[in-house]
Amino acid sequence: MIEFLQFLVPGILIGGVYALLASGLGLIFGVMRVVNFAQADFMMLAMYLSWALFAGGIGLDPFLAMPGVFVVFLLLGMAVHWLFIRFVIGRRENHDAQVILTIGLGLIFQNLILIRYSSEPRVVAPSYANDGDFIGDIFISRARLYAFLLSMLVAALLFLFLNRTATGRAIRAASENWEAATYMGIDIDRTNRIAFGVGVALTAVGGSALVTFQSITPFVGLRFVVVMFAAVVLGGLGSVGGAFVGGVLIGIIQSVSQVWTSAAVKNVWVFGLFLLILYVRPNGLFGKVQRAI
Amino acid sequence: MLETHDLSAGYEGVPALRSVDFRVGPQERVAILGPNGAGKSTLLKTISGTVTPEVGSIRFDGQDLLALSPHQRVEAGIVHVPQGRMIFASMTVADNLRLGGHRSAARQRHDERRDLVLEIFPALADMLSRDGGALSGGQQQMLAVARGVMACPRLLMLDEPSMGLAPRAADEIFEGVAALLQSETTAMIVVEQRAYEALEVCDRAYVLESGEVALEATNEELLGDERLAAAYLGTEL
Ligand SMILES: Nc1ncnc2c1ncn2[C@@H]1O[C@H](COP(=O)(O)OP(=O)(O)O)[C@@H](O)[C@H]1O
Ligand SMILES: [Mg+2]
Repeated sequence: MIEFLQFLVPGILIGGVYALLASGLGLIFGVMRVVNFAQADFMMLAMYLSWALFAGGIGLDPFLAMPGVFVVFLLLGMAVHWLFIRFVIGRRENHDAQVILTIGLGLIFQNLILIRYSSEPRVVAPSYANDGDFIGDIFISRARLYAFLLSMLVAALLFLFLNRTATGRAIRAASENWEAATYMGIDIDRTNRIAFGVGVALTAVGGSALVTFQSITPFVGLRFVVVMFAAVVLGGLGSVGGAFVGGVLIGIIQSVSQVWTSAAVKNVWVFGLFLLILYVRPNGLFGKVQRAI
Repeated sequence: MLETHDLSAGYEGVPALRSVDFRVGPQERVAILGPNGAGKSTLLKTISGTVTPEVGSIRFDGQDLLALSPHQRVEAGIVHVPQGRMIFASMTVADNLRLGGHRSAARQRHDERRDLVLEIFPALADMLSRDGGALSGGQQQMLAVARGVMACPRLLMLDEPSMGLAPRAADEIFEGVAALLQSETTAMIVVEQRAYEALEVCDRAYVLESGEVALEATNEELLGDERLAAAYLGTEL
């Protein structure tokens, strides 16, 4: 039992961060039906930004840097939407263009970083990186606890934004029915741009929550892309809350499976659960979208 | 107030509107009648901007409407209550109404407008915290109309507000619209299959057939001429 809890608790902690990574992807898909294959590479860029702020002179703690990271990636996401994404939105025949565009953006980000910073792994090691506390027999890493708490805070703010502000309501309306939202006088291009910016920024913040225990390379996104997509599909396409729950579940499965099998096969468990849930509930746990791609 | 000239539109080359001249005067109430597939909804969509016409012009208060994007047309005061209701099913009735009042001219007047729509459709008053999807068809239609009224429309366009409703529920909608028109001076376009109910709240009517205006007449002309009434309004009465 103790052994189980020793794996469960870190699973929940990392799951909270996965939840944040996935909610950004889920928001973008939910609002504009674009599968953003560059999402994990925005995360990678955010990790480099956190590293640069920490290692490059100022020594800014990654958790303190997060509001700044959020704003930078909000603006970057809105700019990428305005420059590229808005031209491939809507119409079914645009799906190929969306896939090619977002995969292409991801490759460009990876290679720009590779050219600038090489493939050498970077680490962000603040003084508390290896600290932690025992609660009973369960060790809680301080860095992971901070990452988890921060993810929950951002999730709460996202919830308030979507439910309590006029822009948030407009985004939810546009994601449910863009035509009806248009008749309400909602500027769909604007809600898309904001949703894309917020979605990218959520994943970016999730990425910078990871840097104190995850080394950074230009290809670190590949390690998380599977987790993010699995969480979104698991939770149900079109549901931000679902993506969030999916992320937590995956964190728990990855961790708890190590009670029985080695960490090397933790994603096998994830896909086992993935297939099982989709078999029982083809639209995911909270799915709204019947058929997406 | 609103005037279309030589308006033609279609879907992937298949014409749905052919050279339509259509006009709504200030504070005028106009019915659009005609069989299924005649192009009535397409006409409303070209006005609100979700369908782009192939040729022709639309002017609203002398302004070129086609130069405005759809949300700017709402800002200008054109509010479309679409066929099939299209309420936000996963959002509460209160949030649906709030979204109806998204237009900047309506934001400050939210409470006043909400009181007005609850007066017109009292059945909604007990439902404010329910999800839109949990309402009955009649209540959803009330909500759709109420959402449009929230925007303080200058031109309100109702597309088949009685579609799919039992006669009792349809009557409630028409009563609500009639009550609204008592207190509001808004211009209105009503697309309806129930021609007689629509004419009760309208001054003038157009009949569309195969995308063309087959008839334009005032209420008196239509209702006073048995031949016209029989040809265009069906046999109900
Ligand atoms: N989204 C669409 N795609 C293709 N054809 C459409 C679409 N909407 C309407 N049409 C066609 O355009 C014509 C006019 O339709 P519509 O304006 O909906 O008529 P009405 O509202 O009078 O019933 C019909 O022939 C219909 O089949
Ligand atoms: Mg129609």
